[in-house]
Amino acid sequence: MLDAQGFAEAEVRDRARFGPAAAFPAPERYGRALFGAGTGPVPADPLDRLRLVPPVFVPHRLAKLVELAREPVYPDVRLETVVGGLRSTLPLYLSALGSTRVASVDLAVAASAQAGRLGIPMVVGENVAPVNGYGRLAPGAGRSLLDRVRAYTADLPAGFGGVVIQQSTEDADAEVWNLAYSDPGTRPLLDSGRLGFELKVGQGAKPGLGGMTLLDPAAAAKLGDRYTLDAGLGRGTGAVLRSSSPGTFTAEILRQQIRLMRNNFPRARVWVKLPPARDVREAAVVAWEAGADAVTVDGAEAGTGWAPLAFLRQVGLPLAECLRRIGPHPSCLLVSGRMWEGTRVATCLALGANAAGLGRAALLAVDTDAQRGLVNLVDCLALELRMLTSALGRYDVAELAAEDVWAPQAGPEYGAG
Amino acid sequence: MAWDARTGTPPVQEHPPAPAAPLSPREHLSSPVTRSVLGIQHRMLTAAREFLTGQGCTELLAPVIGPVTDPGARGAKQVDVDYYGHRYKLMTSAILYKQASLAAFDRIFFIAPNVRLEPLETASTDRHLAEFHQIDVELAGASRDDAVALAEALVRHVVRQVLAALPGELARLGRDRCAFTGLLAGPFGRRTHSDAVAALHALGHAQSADAEIDWAGEAILSRAATVPFFVTDYPKGSRGFYDREDPDRPGFLRNFDLIAPEGYGELASGSEREADYATIIARIRETGENPAKYGWYLRMLRDGIPGSAGFGLGVERLTRYIAGLASVWQASAYPKVPGVAAP
Repeated sequence: MLDAQGFAEAEVRDRARFGPAAAFPAPERYGRALFGAGTGPVPADPLDRLRLVPPVFVPHRLAKLVELAREPVYPDVRLETVVGGLRSTLPLYLSALGSTRVASVDLAVAASAQAGRLGIPMVVGENVAPVNGYGRLAPGAGRSLLDRVRAYTADLPAGFGGVVIQQSTEDADAEVWNLAYSDPGTRPLLDSGRLGFELKVGQGAKPGLGGMTLLDPAAAAKLGDRYTLDAGLGRGTGAVLRSSSPGTFTAEILRQQIRLMRNNFPRARVWVKLPPARDVREAAVVAWEAGADAVTVDGAEAGTGWAPLAFLRQVGLPLAECLRRIGPHPSCLLVSGRMWEGTRVATCLALGANAAGLGRAALLAVDTDAQRGLVNLVDCLALELRMLTSALGRYDVAELAAEDVWAPQAGPEYGAG
Repeated sequence: MAWDARTGTPPVQEHPPAPAAPLSPREHLSSPVTRSVLGIQHRMLTAAREFLTGQGCTELLAPVIGPVTDPGARGAKQVDVDYYGHRYKLMTSAILYKQASLAAFDRIFFIAPNVRLEPLETASTDRHLAEFHQIDVELAGASRDDAVALAEALVRHVVRQVLAALPGELARLGRDRCAFTGLLAGPFGRRTHSDAVAALHALGHAQSADAEIDWAGEAILSRAATVPFFVTDYPKGSRGFYDREDPDRPGFLRNFDLIAPEGYGELASGSEREADYATIIARIRETGENPAKYGWYLRMLRDGIPGSAGFGLGVERLTRYIAGLASVWQASAYPKVPGVAAP
């Protein structure tokens, strides 16, 4: 069974089993226990230290009351969101799960199928095609890129969702984008405006480094001419560390790469994934101005894959600080990093994000229940989002704003609006 | 088909619809239309070789596979070849080899086969083939304008030779000689990419100022023209890394496309080439490419290759234009329409 230290594993598995019911205490305690806020330890994650604070005066609720001719309640909250040019039933998407072994077994395919059923977009990691195959001529043992796409589209609601395929520097050799853009297998997505490509500039778990995979020596030998291999890190297991380069970017390189994506793939959505870097705002602005449909920022607390402990511990900006630095903006911002429940997602939306990506939570959910785990988790999260948003006096998640958020101590300041 | 007496303009040929692809190789190859078209194409190639040789160009045989190929083909997939365990590519264009060939001769040309797995939507443009040929020219020490002038002279020479040698074949295909009056009489048109974008906007066509002219936009401009014209100065980010950025106009490239009139669309692409090693490395990154795979090319650049300019002129597209064909596949003996499995 999968484990995920440093993550709310038990809570995620509970939600994957019980769905929306897990948003509340166990019902058997009802009438027998007293409930109220506890005084637990102060969370280490600055995003989790923030609180959502409803107002007394709720002009948006009045507007909704006029529209409905009755008092609005939480099921009236609209969650449908445009996520990087793709229509989504919820302000959520399935993050890239990488090609690390944990995501290469059936979990990624199960997560794809459930994300499709939910009608939320799915990002396919940079390494899936180079490592597991594209799946057109040689079947990828059910794990190839096309297998993921097939699982995703099987029950995808019409007009919703979409598949966004990542590519980074070395993976450009595999020409995954060119292949997907000219492939009959992805054509229904392309023709319905639901195919996207994500330029991976970096990632949260190891900002400044490229993607990493542990390989057995035979698999490593096949990739040796394209990646950096380090055989001395396997603690006697023989495993070889395969690293991509982080890729060299300047503002001009990023700008022109995005323009070329738009030129070469005019019918595809263009996403750009940024690491939690100190110049995250400048990079995001370059990407948006060059025409990216979305910028994804992966907080330092994000990541499903293999990474050096030092980077997990102490490298990169927390997502809260990324949001503060980016500040107000008119474009589509997607965020990821330890997302699994409603308050964190709602707080990010209030601080300028349009949607949040599920990574580890999605893997744990499908590991708990391969048929419904992710659907259950998301149903629970959706219930929380509706309750939180309505409590804040709003009836569309897009209306959440910085004024809904309170920081308990002197710390980062969040701009209003 | 007659000239328009009122406006004095030559007639715009209506393209009768062609089937999406030939039904069978035998039917295609034995059809009188195909025989006329391939006869014209043979004369075109003979004329092109005569002309370019007369211009001091040496014909080289083009490579078919290599460790890298031209990444500049928009949205098209390259074909991998397992070359003794190394991943090689079929040439999408011989551009990198054209520059390298200048180490042997100052003026060279190939008549080169290219393979590009184009996006499936190109099956209906009537001007895309997955397998096609280019007359590829490269001139050491030349400017963009030198390449433009040579491309214009080459096309004019080829058209003149076909008109003189094969009037009967053109007549059999219903191609009116008057269509070429302007081409033979005067200079080709010329406009910048920015002008072309503005013209399309004025016609209500949404065209990105940062991208190549899209296929529909190109068809609009082409239909409105009566003589071929060049579109120059494409924005950076719309073309391959080897097109030279204009030092006087950063963000714009010293390059061009040649567009045929009457809706036939793009015939050729060319540019002044970037030959500076460090600039090329940055440009490779700007196109999202991994410089590591261009090792042999970068070593040649580092050791120095001459500055140059050149172009690739599509043989089947030029054939289509000269013969007045509805679709470019009719200009190939063994057409590969994108997405259609054919011999």
